Amino acid sequence: MDNLNLGRHISGQFNEDIEAIINHVMQMGGMIEQQLTDALTAVNDNDEKLVKKVIDTDHTINQYEVDIDDECTRIIAKRQPAAGDLRLIMSISKSVADLERIGDDAEKIAKVALESFSSNQQDLLINLDHLGRNVLSTLQTTLDAFARMDVEAALITHKNDEKIDRAYEALMRQLMTYMMEDPRSIPQIMTVIWSARALERIGDRCQNICENIIYYVKGKIARHLSAEQLNNL
Amino acid sequence: MISVTPKPLASQQEIRDLANLTPEQVALKIQNLNLHYGEKQALFDISMLIPKGQVTAFIGPSGCGKSTLLRSINRMNDLVDSCHIDGEILLHDENIYGKHVDVAMLRRKVGMVFQRPNPFPKSIYENVIYGLRLVGVKNRRTLDEAAETALKSAALWNEVKDRLHESALGLSGGQQQRLVIARAIAIQPEVLLLDEPTSALDPISTLTIEELINDLKKQFTVVIVTHNMQQAARVSDQTAFMYMGELIEYSDTNTLFTTPTKKKTEDYITGRYG
Repeated sequence: MDNLNLGRHISGQFNEDIEAIINHVMQMGGMIEQQLTDALTAVNDNDEKLVKKVIDTDHTINQYEVDIDDECTRIIAKRQPAAGDLRLIMSISKSVADLERIGDDAEKIAKVALESFSSNQQDLLINLDHLGRNVLSTLQTTLDAFARMDVEAALITHKNDEKIDRAYEALMRQLMTYMMEDPRSIPQIMTVIWSARALERIGDRCQNICENIIYYVKGKIARHLSAEQLNNL
Repeated sequence: MISVTPKPLASQQEIRDLANLTPEQVALKIQNLNLHYGEKQALFDISMLIPKGQVTAFIGPSGCGKSTLLRSINRMNDLVDSCHIDGEILLHDENIYGKHVDVAMLRRKVGMVFQRPNPFPKSIYENVIYGLRLVGVKNRRTLDEAAETALKSAALWNEVKDRLHESALGLSGGQQQRLVIARAIAIQPEVLLLDEPTSALDPISTLTIEELINDLKKQFTVVIVTHNMQQAARVSDQTAFMYMGELIEYSDTNTLFTTPTKKKTEDYITGRYG
C-alpha cells in the first residue's frame, strides 16, 4: 500500500489514523481467515470444541467491525478526506461489513460439525470440504489483494467466483439426489445445504471486497458489471 | 497478516470526563465567568476545565464570545476600559484576576498568538528572543540556545537557520506566523492561546501550523479559537461550542463532531445557522 502515498499527508496525525485503521482491517481479516479455516476443520474432524472457538471468535470480529466503522465515521467528520482518502475510507467501511458477514457465515458452516452423519453420507462432507477449501483460497487472495490494494489480483479473484458458483451448483445437484433417494436424510442434508450456501455467499462477499479495491484504486464503480466490462475499466 | 497490536482506534480509547478531571490533569479552571462590555453582557456564567497538555478549541458564530473568552485567559480584556469581569479563572489554584497578580508575569505563563502574524520590524533572531531580553536574560549562549529550540519547536528552524539576522518582515505569511509562535514559546509559557492563527494563511501553511499545534501540545497546553470548525475538528482534543455568550456544549472532539448532544451544536456544525 506504500506506493499509494497514504503516509504522506502534511498532518502526521492523519497518517497515523489511516495506518491504524488499515492495520485493524488487516487484523480483522486475519482473524476471519483463521475462523473459516477452523470452521472447515471442525466439520472435517467433527470437533465440537473448535465449533465453540469459531462461535466465540465471532464476538470479537463483530466488535472489530463496530470499532472500524466508527473510526471511518470519525475520520470523515474530523478530517473531511477527499479523493483517494475518501474512497479508501468508503472502501474500508463497506469491506468491513462484508468481512463481518463472512464471520457469520463461518459460524453457520461450523455448526454442521454438530450434526451426526451416517457413513454413507461422508461423501457429502468431503465435497463440502472441497468447496470450502476453494472458498478459503479465494478469501486469502482477496485479503492479500486488499493488503496491497492490488487491482490485478482483485480482478483475478473476482473472476474466480465463477468456479465457486459452479462447484456450489454441482454440490446442490448431488444433495438433491441424496434427498430424493433417502427422504429420511433430509434434516442432515439441509444443514449441509445451509453450509454450502454460506460458502457460496462468502465467495460473493469476497467479490464485493474486490470491487471495493477496484473502486479505491481506479475511482470507478465496479459493481453490477459483466466480466468484460470489468476488464475494460 | 499483521500480528502486532495496532494503535487503538478512537472508539477503543477511554473518553475523558471533562467535568471530573483530577487536579493534575487541569491547566485552567474557569468558574462562573461573566463579562460585560459596558451595559452589554458578552459572556454568561462560563464554567469549564481546560486539560493540561491538550488542545482545546472554542468554536461558534461571530460574536459568540469565543475570542472574548480566550482573551480573558491572559487578561487582554484589561485593555478595554468598559470591560467588567466577575468570576474566576484559576491557574495553579490562583485566580488570575486576583488583586496581587502581576499581569506581565501572567502573560509570561500564558502566551498568545493573534490572527495576523505580527512580527516586530527586527531580525528573525531578535523577534524570537524578544521576550527573554525583556525579562533580563543577557547571556548570549542562553539566548542562542533558546532561539534555536523555539524555532525548532515551531518547525521553522530549517527554513531560517541561515538567515537568522535578516529582517523577519521578509518571511512569508505562514513563516511569519510560525515565527510569532516561536516568539511566544521561547519564554516557555504553560499555556499558549491561539486566536484564529491560520485565518490569514493559505491551505498548505494552515496544515503546517495545524501539524505544529499537534506537536506543541506535548510541551504546552494549547487553547485555540477558530472560525473554521473543520480546523477545530482536525487539531483539537476537546471542543467548546459557544453561542451568544454561553457555553452550549463542551466535550471531546470525537464526540462533539459525530454525536453532539445539543441541537444548537448539531445545527451549527452541520451548517444550519451561524
